[in-house]
Amino acid sequence: MSLDAYIPESRQTEKPRDSYKWIGKSMKRVEDPRLLVGRGNFADDVNLPDMAHSAILRSPHAHARILRIDKSKAEALPGVLCVMTGEEAAEVTGPLPSWANPPVHQYCIAQERVRHVGEAVAAVAAENRYIAEDACDLIEVEYEPLPAVVDLEEALSSTGDAVLHPYRGDTNVALARTFTFGPVEEDFAKADRVIERRFRWPRSGGTPMETHGAVASFDPGTGKFTIHANTSMYNYCGWMIADSLGVPAHKLNIIPTLAGGSFGAKLFSHKPCVLAATLARATGRPVKFMEDRIDNTTGCDAHGSDRVYYAKLAIKDDGTLLSLRTHIIDDYGAYFQFGVGQHGNALSQCVGPYQINSVEVELEAVLTNKCQQGAYRGFGSEVANFVIERLVDGAAAELGMDVVDIRRKNFITPDQFPYLIPTGNMYDSGNYAAVLDETLKLSEYDSWRAKQAEMRKQGRYIGIGVATCQERSVFSTTEFWMWNLEPGGEWTSSPDAVSLKIDPTGKAFVTLHSPFWGNSPETVVVQVLAEQMTLDPADIEVTYSDSDQGFNSTGPGGSRFTVMVTGAVVGAAHKLKKKLLRIAGHLMEADTADLEFRDGAVSLKGAPDKRLTIAELANTAHYFRLDLPEDLDLTSGLDTSYVYDHPVTTLPAKDNSHMGIFYPIMGHMCHIPVIEIDIETGKISFLNYACVHDCGTMVNPMTLKGHVRGGVVNGIGSALMEHYHYDENGQLQNALFTDYLLPSVLESPDDIKIGHVVTPSPFTEYGIKGGGEGGRMGAPPALAAAVEDALRPLGITIDELPLSPSRLRGLIREAQAGQP
Amino acid sequence: MAVRGISYSLVGPIAELCERKKTNWDGGAVKPAPFDYVRAENVEEALSALAANAEAQILAGGQSLIAMMNLRLAKPGCLIDINRLSDLDYIRAEGDELAIGALTRHTAAATSPVVAEFCPLMTAAYDFIAHRAVRNRGTVGGNLCHADPSSENPAVAIASGATFVLNSIDGERRVAAEDFFLGLYETAAKQNELLTEIRIPKAPAGQGWSFQETSTRKGDFALVGIAATLDCSNDACKDARVVAIGVDERAVRLNSAEAPITGAAIDDTSLTAAAEAARDSVDPPSDFHADSDFRRDLVFSLTKRALSEAHGRCGKEG
Amino acid sequence: MGAAEKKVNAMDSVKINVTVNGRSHEREVEPRRLLSDFIREDLRLTGTHLGCEHGVCGSCTILMNGQSTRSCLTFAVMADGAEISTIEGLGSIDDMHPLQAAFWEKHGLQCGFCTPGMLMTALELLRENPSANREDIREALSGNLCRCTGYQTIVDAVELAAETMRGA
Repeated sequence: MSLDAYIPESRQTEKPRDSYKWIGKSMKRVEDPRLLVGRGNFADDVNLPDMAHSAILRSPHAHARILRIDKSKAEALPGVLCVMTGEEAAEVTGPLPSWANPPVHQYCIAQERVRHVGEAVAAVAAENRYIAEDACDLIEVEYEPLPAVVDLEEALSSTGDAVLHPYRGDTNVALARTFTFGPVEEDFAKADRVIERRFRWPRSGGTPMETHGAVASFDPGTGKFTIHANTSMYNYCGWMIADSLGVPAHKLNIIPTLAGGSFGAKLFSHKPCVLAATLARATGRPVKFMEDRIDNTTGCDAHGSDRVYYAKLAIKDDGTLLSLRTHIIDDYGAYFQFGVGQHGNALSQCVGPYQINSVEVELEAVLTNKCQQGAYRGFGSEVANFVIERLVDGAAAELGMDVVDIRRKNFITPDQFPYLIPTGNMYDSGNYAAVLDETLKLSEYDSWRAKQAEMRKQGRYIGIGVATCQERSVFSTTEFWMWNLEPGGEWTSSPDAVSLKIDPTGKAFVTLHSPFWGNSPETVVVQVLAEQMTLDPADIEVTYSDSDQGFNSTGPGGSRFTVMVTGAVVGAAHKLKKKLLRIAGHLMEADTADLEFRDGAVSLKGAPDKRLTIAELANTAHYFRLDLPEDLDLTSGLDTSYVYDHPVTTLPAKDNSHMGIFYPIMGHMCHIPVIEIDIETGKISFLNYACVHDCGTMVNPMTLKGHVRGGVVNGIGSALMEHYHYDENGQLQNALFTDYLLPSVLESPDDIKIGHVVTPSPFTEYGIKGGGEGGRMGAPPALAAAVEDALRPLGITIDELPLSPSRLRGLIREAQAGQP
Repeated sequence: MAVRGISYSLVGPIAELCERKKTNWDGGAVKPAPFDYVRAENVEEALSALAANAEAQILAGGQSLIAMMNLRLAKPGCLIDINRLSDLDYIRAEGDELAIGALTRHTAAATSPVVAEFCPLMTAAYDFIAHRAVRNRGTVGGNLCHADPSSENPAVAIASGATFVLNSIDGERRVAAEDFFLGLYETAAKQNELLTEIRIPKAPAGQGWSFQETSTRKGDFALVGIAATLDCSNDACKDARVVAIGVDERAVRLNSAEAPITGAAIDDTSLTAAAEAARDSVDPPSDFHADSDFRRDLVFSLTKRALSEAHGRCGKEG
Repeated sequence: MGAAEKKVNAMDSVKINVTVNGRSHEREVEPRRLLSDFIREDLRLTGTHLGCEHGVCGSCTILMNGQSTRSCLTFAVMADGAEISTIEGLGSIDDMHPLQAAFWEKHGLQCGFCTPGMLMTALELLRENPSANREDIREALSGNLCRCTGYQTIVDAVELAAETMRGA
């Protein structure tokens, strides 16, 4: 198929420009004032009259049959309203949502068996959380322990009692499949050599400061549930929660609260909603369920990728990269809510920014007795980035080639865009050499290499890492099902909507149909709408709809939100502008082609003093129908909505020879950290950190930098200290923040230098690309490379994270022992 | 034990908890279980309440205790709140001894010029102790009684030859620091005793000191820490004390590390010998934060660094 | 009254008097009621947030008698007679404290959940050390976790606030 036939036409209506009034400004955030004075409305801040509080009794076993539950003492405790077992919950509440096909059954309270430490075995609703926890202490549960499946490679051969979901067959392999894209066999045959490595990417998680939670109430007068929750996707698939609750979709209204961070974890946080609602129905009172931190670390349903890669990179001795083979084993934990969406995601950019001709991916997804995976900033692609970058560094090492040169040699070049990678995804635009050059300059690379040489003579271990990574943005839903062996649920819509109105006084109201996660959707809306309509940002109000009022909206995630919200605002603004121009033209007796928006008014081109302000026009539109043209389509008021669909996506081929275009708005970054290692203690300190991100046109450079920095620190966590560690019995050893280590300010570089290159997208409004996943996409491989570089005198290679002081010291000790 | 680094001062039931390795997170818990409460207005009230309630525990700063109680890993039946005992909040130079009231908050101790003068080792250790908000409420006495194996002040107390003053309705007794820390969260204090004062002999003139610690993040509990003091004359060591944390169930004095340098010239050879002896004398535990090989490596490196830094400070004004 | 008579049964309440943001509150609380819950639920001041409830994340930080304190590691009864400052007392949207204005200016927040704890900690720092430098600021904030910002802009904000407060 020709490129023209393969790639749909661009639906971009707003081309990138050289200058804007509001877009591109580092405007102070609209969201901030209320947050700064402690008036953000988070889930735990919701207090309804007569509200009860709940707590869950968590399973102490990783895997066990539930034989008997005696809740009599708990029920008798004063202040307890309800003690519910999984069996009782299942009488009225069905399984939780799952995109896997065939689905894996999960319930808000475990029934028959528990499958991970921390899974709810019972739930209590009481007058306050203290009493609820007292009641949990009084519940007696008899278990029959079953074998705990903890090692992901061992899980490949589980049988019998070790199988978590026997109704799916006598196996813990949830999905096994191989995709081959392009002439892999041929390319490997052509290779001069193959770089072969085993990588281990550890289980971590978004772990936002705010846990997941919901406040639910049931109105017996209407048979309707209302749930306040910090989940996203309530306007995309909120009906699935209604399904779980056994009510028709219109008998559920989900009201979003602000989310205190998500990083993917709150993408579709259904369990707290279903649990709170189930208890609300049972008690006849509103019920709050807020995860406590241990509920969260053990059962958030949002752990990140947990993978072993057997990877092979076929190369020529001149450094040309030919082909990539990966055999991946991914430990999904006890359930499978998103299927292997994380691997659909990774197919979008698994070759990195390089001209690699073919790819083979063999995937084995296993189920184990751990908290299930969800989404964590990168949704699996950050791991693919790590793998390809490590392989490229491995190739450079083996060939004696410079790490910068080998990258430059294999980059996709600017004239090659739009570029199709072997999996079928498109990279829309980019200039990887420019990003690399800018980063080398910003990081003072040559100077640091010289310093490194000097410091090495002093016996110091200094490392410089270079990582050039993709940040795909705006996912298509096909990534969630493209791996499925059985069809079903093959959605292809992932839109976002806004509603827009201008009131009789000229104030603009924008309603978002997706939530706030700490990204800056209100600020983006204000900047884009102000740009579109020449309004004053101070005259724009942004609110959030609930699911009753909301339109189809996928929400933040996959670095999509700025692009999608902008598209929706532009679409809505166009509609209103068209109406305003018509009204203005009619009132000013001018041709709409001679009119323009300027300074909050519609004015005559070339004669700006001949104008009607938007407020004046709005007032007329609302109240003076008989002054408007007689056209019946022209109704009183100024209101509209717009659902903006994915700007460019296509279906996978029926024979799976390619996956279509599914994640094409392609950002890119280069990260260059400089570190020093104390080889006696394994401690790492940062001497410098520079990175350049290309996210196309930037709406707000300040907030974009926030994502870059925040993402870098998330990446530092993943690379150096974060690991949800399960022991051989499936006990989570570090459920507390004393032991699951998030970087504090002291573990974060004080000056992350950030540069920008802009290659606008030809497909999105204004050419914007997503940047929300930020630094986490590039920091881990950059840090691994830096550590390897620092320890080059000892000949250590880095294939596994996190690089804790203990692990590093172990590698160093081993290497030193091996030396003469 | 899965719960690293949170300490609490229950004698007895701790052992039972440590045995219970099978389950870590049973129960739902971030709110404490109910407890009876006594607010003592003076030491006498505290002592009689301790005597009257066999299951009573002292509530001072609560920075370790309340965390454990929130997690329901500790469920004391009765708490005696001694936060009003301002009589126990003092730092005094008493001749050749430093007297620190047990209720002295860490912030006060950390910034006290008197402490810096009498026991610079303690001031140095405070660099590694928790974070400001915890130091504002946590007390020197409470922290010592908690006896977390990775806690810094027990090591400081042993290295500086401190004595603890314990009071009960039966009277007063004194226990040397080196006899006070018995095991995991276990001290020589009896259930009805209240630690009222810590007495530290003033560091001899010209004594060098150093506190070295490695933790994954600053302010975390130590993976390994070394407290060292060194008395030198003419570049030879007269007396050395090396105390380690993170290598055992309590802070331990590494006598064998002290031997190679006592009476010897301080140079790379003797420092290395001391560090090697330190490493060889410990049998540290393994956990996912740090395996025993790593802890041994740290004992070596930190002992050498500590003795070296202490040596560098020898002879100078504190 | 002897100690035995003073003992409050677990299920009974203790009368406490707490001044919060300058306003006096007399309430009856169970001995085990945490100060964090007292502030958030009994006084309906929900700006102080709960991130871990075991004293690590710092989201619950308030000032007690001017000193930064993890309210999740304090029983309400321990605050009897104390002066508590929470985020709600720092400033309003029309009259922000220089710290709040600086955080706004420097993009020192994204989701806002850790922010009240950061602000109260920074307030203590700047009151004690008006010329705090970046190293001082980083040290002071080391007990407050943030997952969003990467911290740099928080430090920038406190630096700017210090400058503003010194100038004013």
